[in-house]
Amino acid sequence: MARYIFVRALDSIPTIFLVLTLVFIAMRILPGDPAIAVLGENARPETIALFRERFGLNDPIWLQYLHFLRDVVTLDFGTSLMKGVPVGDLILRNIPYTIELTIAAMIIGISGGIPLGVWAAINRNKAPDNGFRVFSLIGYAVPDFYLGAMLLIIFALNLGWFPITGAGVEFTDRLHHIVLPAVTLAMLKIAFLGRLSRTSLLEVMGRDYVRTARAKGAREPRVIYRHGLRNALLPLSTGLGLSVLTTLSGSVAVELVFNRPGIGRLLIDAISERDYPVIQAGVIVFAAAVVIVNLLMEIVYVVVDPRIKVK
Amino acid sequence: MRISRRTLLKTGAAGMASTVFLPGLVRAQNADDVIRLAVAAGGPRSADPNQTTQGADNWTTEQMFEQLVRPPDGLFAAADDEYVPTLATSWETSEDGLTWTFQLREGVQFHKGYGEMTSEDVVHSFDRARFDGVNTAVFGNIESVEATGQYEVTFRLRGPDPLFLGSTIFQNGASIVSKKAEEEKGDSFNTDSIGTGPYVLDSFDSSNGTRLTRHDDYWDGPANISNVEVAYIADTTARTLALIAGEIDIIEAVRAPGWIDQIRQRDPDLRVDMTNPGSFMTLHINLNQEPFDNPMVRKAIATAIDSAAVANALAPMGMPTVTLSPPHYPTGWAREELPEELRYDYNPDTARQMLADAGFADGISFEANVSQREDYRSTMLIVQELMRPAGIDMQLNVMDHSAYHGANREDQNTLALHAASYPPVPLDYMSRYLSSGAEVKADGTGGGNYSHYGVAIPGVDDELAQMQVATSFDEYVSIGREIERKVQDDLPVLGVMTLGFTAVRSARVDLGYEVDGGYARWRFHKATKS
Repeated sequence: MARYIFVRALDSIPTIFLVLTLVFIAMRILPGDPAIAVLGENARPETIALFRERFGLNDPIWLQYLHFLRDVVTLDFGTSLMKGVPVGDLILRNIPYTIELTIAAMIIGISGGIPLGVWAAINRNKAPDNGFRVFSLIGYAVPDFYLGAMLLIIFALNLGWFPITGAGVEFTDRLHHIVLPAVTLAMLKIAFLGRLSRTSLLEVMGRDYVRTARAKGAREPRVIYRHGLRNALLPLSTGLGLSVLTTLSGSVAVELVFNRPGIGRLLIDAISERDYPVIQAGVIVFAAAVVIVNLLMEIVYVVVDPRIKVK
Repeated sequence: MRISRRTLLKTGAAGMASTVFLPGLVRAQNADDVIRLAVAAGGPRSADPNQTTQGADNWTTEQMFEQLVRPPDGLFAAADDEYVPTLATSWETSEDGLTWTFQLREGVQFHKGYGEMTSEDVVHSFDRARFDGVNTAVFGNIESVEATGQYEVTFRLRGPDPLFLGSTIFQNGASIVSKKAEEEKGDSFNTDSIGTGPYVLDSFDSSNGTRLTRHDDYWDGPANISNVEVAYIADTTARTLALIAGEIDIIEAVRAPGWIDQIRQRDPDLRVDMTNPGSFMTLHINLNQEPFDNPMVRKAIATAIDSAAVANALAPMGMPTVTLSPPHYPTGWAREELPEELRYDYNPDTARQMLADAGFADGISFEANVSQREDYRSTMLIVQELMRPAGIDMQLNVMDHSAYHGANREDQNTLALHAASYPPVPLDYMSRYLSSGAEVKADGTGGGNYSHYGVAIPGVDDELAQMQVATSFDEYVSIGREIERKVQDDLPVLGVMTLGFTAVRSARVDLGYEVDGGYARWRFHKATKS
C-alpha cells in the first residue's frame, strides 16, 4: 500500500507542474501591474521602477519562470508583494480556517444528505421522495454566495443568532462563527450526497443478495442498512471525494461573503492585487488538495470494497 | 500496509479534531472600551508608515504615529500657519526659505519602552523616508536633515517651499519612528512598528486584522478608549451588515449612489463623517487620440457634462468642481470667478453645436475604459448618460481596478477617470497631472499625465517651474491660479467633482471632534463610547 501511495503521488507531479505553469503564464498575460496594485495608482514612476527591480519583475519572463520553478522545488514560496511577509506563513495561517470549514460542511453534508437519501429511497415515489427531490433541486440551483447572504440577513442580522463576520478565536466562538458558512456550503452536499445515496441504494436494493436476504426473513432495517447501504457505499465514496473538492472550491465564495479568513479569500485578494507569489502558492495548495483527496479516495475504495486489490 | 475501516475512521476523526480545535488568540474585552473599525480591504499589508501603500492601513498607522506637525483633527491645513505643533513645539524659516529649524517636544516616549524621542530619531525617520520609503519622491526637495541639538532638527532644502509643512513634513512617510526599534527589529518592523502615537500595536494578523492598545505614556495624555480593533472587510455587504448588527462601530462607506440614504433608512441614528474635498474625480482627455486633439471637441465634452448632476447623484459625498482644484483650495476657482467662456455651463445643445463646428455634425463615438470600483463605475455611467444627448457616444469597457490603472499607465485610455485624495498642496497634483515630465508612456514607465499635456500641445511647465521656486505663499497661489485658468482653457483635464471620503459610525461612538476635511483616516485619541 505504501508503495502504491508513493507511486500515485509521483504520478501527480506532472499534473501539479502543468497547473503551476498555466497559472504562471495566465498571471503574466492578464492586464494589471503588480507594482501599481501594491504601490497604488498615484505611485510615481521612479517608485514603481524601484519596486519592479526589487522583485525581479523587470527580468525576462523565462528567467522569472526559472526562478519560480526553483522556488517551487525548494518549497520557497517567496514573500508576498503586498504584505511583505513570507507566503508560507500566510498559507499556514489561513489553511486551518479552510480545513475546518470544509470539515464542518462535510459533516453537515454527510449527516444530512445520506439519511435523507436513504429516507427518499425507501419511500420511493411517495411524498418524502418527492419532497427530497424538490429540496435537492433547490440545493443544486441556489448559488453559495446568494444562500450565504440570505442566511446572514435572516439568522445573523435579523434574528441575531450568529455573528456576521470573522472566524472567531476561542473554541466555542469558532464553532459559533462556523455554523452559517458551513450550512451554506453543506446545502449543495446534502443535495448531491442525498441524490447519490438514493440512486445507489435503489440500485442495490434490486440486486439478488437483497432479495435473498428478504427471502431468508431478514428484517427490513437490516436489509436496508446491512445489505443495501453498505453495498451502496462505493459510489458514495466517489461522491464524497468530489464533494470535498467542491467544498474546497466553494469555500472561496463563502469566505468572502462571511469575511472569514482562509485560503480562498487569500487567493481572491491576491488575484485582485496581482500578488504573484501568493497566487502561485495558493494554487499549489489547491492542486495538492485535489491530488491528496483523489489519493485518499482510492485508498478508501480499497478499504470499503475488499474486492478491489492494490496493484 | 493494511488500513482497516476502523483505522481509517479513527485517523479521520483525529485529523478533524486537530484542525478544528486550534488554539485561539484573543482576550475578552469590554465592548465599551474598544472601538471596532472595519475598513474596505482584504487584509493589512504594513504597519510601518513608511511602507504603507494601502489607504486602509493608514487607519492603523494614524493611531500609532505622529509627525512633527499635524493639521487640526478633522481638517486639512490650507496654509502652513494652520498646522498644530505635535512632536515639534515650534519652527522657524530662514529668509531665503531654504532652511527650516524645528524644536522638538521633550519627554515624548516611544511605545513599548523604547525610550524618549530625540533629534536622532527624527533624522533617522526622515532618512529612511527619503531613501528607503514607498514615496521617496515627495522628499526630493530635502537636501539634508541634521540633528543640531538633542531636541533640534534642521532641514536644508534644494528650493524654497512655502507649503513645506504640508508638502513634506505632514506626510505619512515622515512619521517619526524609533531608531533603536527599527534597527533592532529589521524587517519585522513592518508588522511590529514603534511610534509615539496614542495607541500601541498589539497584534498584526493578516487573517484577523489589527489590534491596538492605549499608550499610557502618551505625551498628550492617554486616550479615552483602551483598545482599537481594525477588521478588514472588503465585501461591502458584509461590512454594512456588521455595522448594522452592532458588531462593528465604524465602517468605511461605500461610495456608490444611494448608499448613504439606504443605510440611514436602516438605522437613522448612525452618524456619517465625511471629508471635503475627499477624492478629486478628474477626467483626463487623451490629446494624442482623435478627435480629442481638437480643442472644440474637448470644450463640447466639458459642456456636455453637468458636474452638479454627477455630484448630486453621489450626494452627500459628491461636490461639484469647476477647475482642477476644488474652490476652497488655495488655487481653486469658484464658478462665478471664471470668465463665462471657461465655465462650460451644462448645455447638450450647445455641446452638439460645438461638435458640429468642429466637423462632427453626426456626433462622436469612442470607447473608454473604466474601473469596476463603485465610485469609478458610477461616475462614468452618469457621465456616459449626460453626454449622450449631445451626440457623444462613449462605450464603456469595465475592467478590474488593478487592470484599469495598469492600462491607464500604458496609455490605453481615451477619457481616463482618476480618483485621488490630495492635501491642499497644489504643486503636488499639478505636477503629477500636468507636467510634461510626468507624461504617460506606452511602456508603463511614465507618470500620471494621462493627457500628454505639455507634449501633445504646449502646457504649463514654465509656470510649474515658477511655482516650484516661489518664496511666498501669495506668489505660489497666484501662479497656481493662472495654471488652473490655462488648463481650463486647454482642457487636458476636467475636474468633474470631489467625492468626500466617508465613514459611518454607531451613535455610541463620539470622535471628540467634527470631521470636515483631511486625509481618509481619523484619530481615535479623543473618542468616547457610551
